[in-house]
Amino acid sequence: MRVERRWRWVPAAASIAALSICATGCGDLSRAELSRGVESLSALAAQGGLIANGVARDATKSTYSRVMAKTLGDEAEHEAEKLADATPSPEVTRERDAAVQIAGEIAQLFSELRTFPGDERHGVLVQRHMREAKERADAVVTRLTGEAP
Amino acid sequence: MRAIFKIALGIIAALGGFLDIGDLVFNTQAGALFRYDLLWAVVLGTAGIAVYAEMCGRVAAVTQRPVFDVIRMRLGFGMGLVGLIASTLVNLLTVAAELGGLAIILELLFDATFSMFVVVAAIGLVVVVALLPFGGIERLFGYCGLMMLVFIATALHQGPDWGEVAHGFVPSFSGSTLYLYFVVGVFAAALMPYEVHFYSSGAIEEGWTESSLRENRLNAIVGYSLGGILACALVVSGFLFHPVGVDPSDLGTVALPAQGAFGETGLLLALGGMMFCIGGAAVDSSFSASYNLAQFLGWEWGRYRGPRKAPRFTASWLVFLFLAMLIVLSGINPVEITEYSVVFSVVALPLTYLPILMIAGDRSFMGKHANGRVSTLLGWAYFALIVVLAVAAVPLLLATNGGGG
Repeated sequence: MRVERRWRWVPAAASIAALSICATGCGDLSRAELSRGVESLSALAAQGGLIANGVARDATKSTYSRVMAKTLGDEAEHEAEKLADATPSPEVTRERDAAVQIAGEIAQLFSELRTFPGDERHGVLVQRHMREAKERADAVVTRLTGEAP
Repeated sequence: MRAIFKIALGIIAALGGFLDIGDLVFNTQAGALFRYDLLWAVVLGTAGIAVYAEMCGRVAAVTQRPVFDVIRMRLGFGMGLVGLIASTLVNLLTVAAELGGLAIILELLFDATFSMFVVVAAIGLVVVVALLPFGGIERLFGYCGLMMLVFIATALHQGPDWGEVAHGFVPSFSGSTLYLYFVVGVFAAALMPYEVHFYSSGAIEEGWTESSLRENRLNAIVGYSLGGILACALVVSGFLFHPVGVDPSDLGTVALPAQGAFGETGLLLALGGMMFCIGGAAVDSSFSASYNLAQFLGWEWGRYRGPRKAPRFTASWLVFLFLAMLIVLSGINPVEITEYSVVFSVVALPLTYLPILMIAGDRSFMGKHANGRVSTLLGWAYFALIVVLAVAAVPLLLATNGGGG
């Protein structure tokens, strides 16, 4: 009986711990977290632009472009899913939606690069669209942080 | 003429064994994240490995004792066992990282499933080791690893601001934990313990004696210096990613600057060079794991003895390779394994380098070939640095979320 009483605090402590974890980890998507996510989208678009540049100049190996496009495209898709699943704080909802859209576009561009890794014309287009996606991601970061990335 | 040729071969072999997946990842990321600010850490790490490799080679040539023999002799069975366990775990992680890196490069070149290439890479390494003698293995990876010179050409092609590059060689510290994490990473990637284990056992495999000491010094100093120049070139070429905010954490991204500078030829040279450097490191690190075990337990060891005369050594090498293959096939990202293996190697470094330092300075053991004043001073200065970094490594890994910021 005494033993049972001694351990009575455990469920209460576990509940407090679970609530604390939810309060810190499962809460709204903060401005800083969103900003970091969008910065990584900008970096993915920049990397995509460099790969597409190789395709556009016919200065790469198609297996390399295809595998890189697959790897980075998966990362962009994962980022899009992560952002879409998160609950944004009310003041960053618009930026979150914009970020999800940009992530989806970047993933789509990588998919195109993966399908046509040796096509120079597609390379030129993807490079241009990657640059535009990066500019839009950078603009979102500026809106979120108040300073240019 | 023959002597010069032999020294040149040794230098190339040392160059081929120096750069591995850890150097490729950490140095390129260092350039992307901190511009040229970490060049001093590359130089510091390169000088450190040259100092200790020279000592290891000297001890092996004079006493015919490789590193782990010395570790057990100096530290005793208990501490020696701790060193063995620590270095075996780090070596196993390193072999897994190198094998995974090799599979990534093969995937980029031939585009089939990653897991298939992990198996292909492991079988390829077994075939190379089975077919070639020790010197042949070193030369294959050393010569072909010279394709990495494309990174020097790439760095020059980028037309860096040489004033800023020169400034990067002056040690600087910022309060950023990420910067400190990369100082540890870049330094540790140059001083991975398997490099000295392999170097010293390799000296015995190649039959070095006291007459090989000049060759040893040249190999260590010139070979590792060339490796250091290549590592600096990776930092400078990584600068390409800095203005656009790319973190080159994918191995394929490391080759992008060479493609940007020299098109498909540059890309193929970069991927080829990386493949042979990583392949060489996979052989070195897996051999090191088996050397350490065999030397600690007193087994017959050495590639020159062949599988029949050193069956447990050969079997343990195959087991290490197999375990590494399982680790990579479990789905863990090889670059993440690399980061952990590099950081945890820092923790194991003191156990490797202290006994070397003690025995290399022991006149009763080394006679006239014991450490002189300069070697002693450099050795202890590096050891002090290694201890500081060993203490800081894991907290920095945790504070920066494995370099993720």
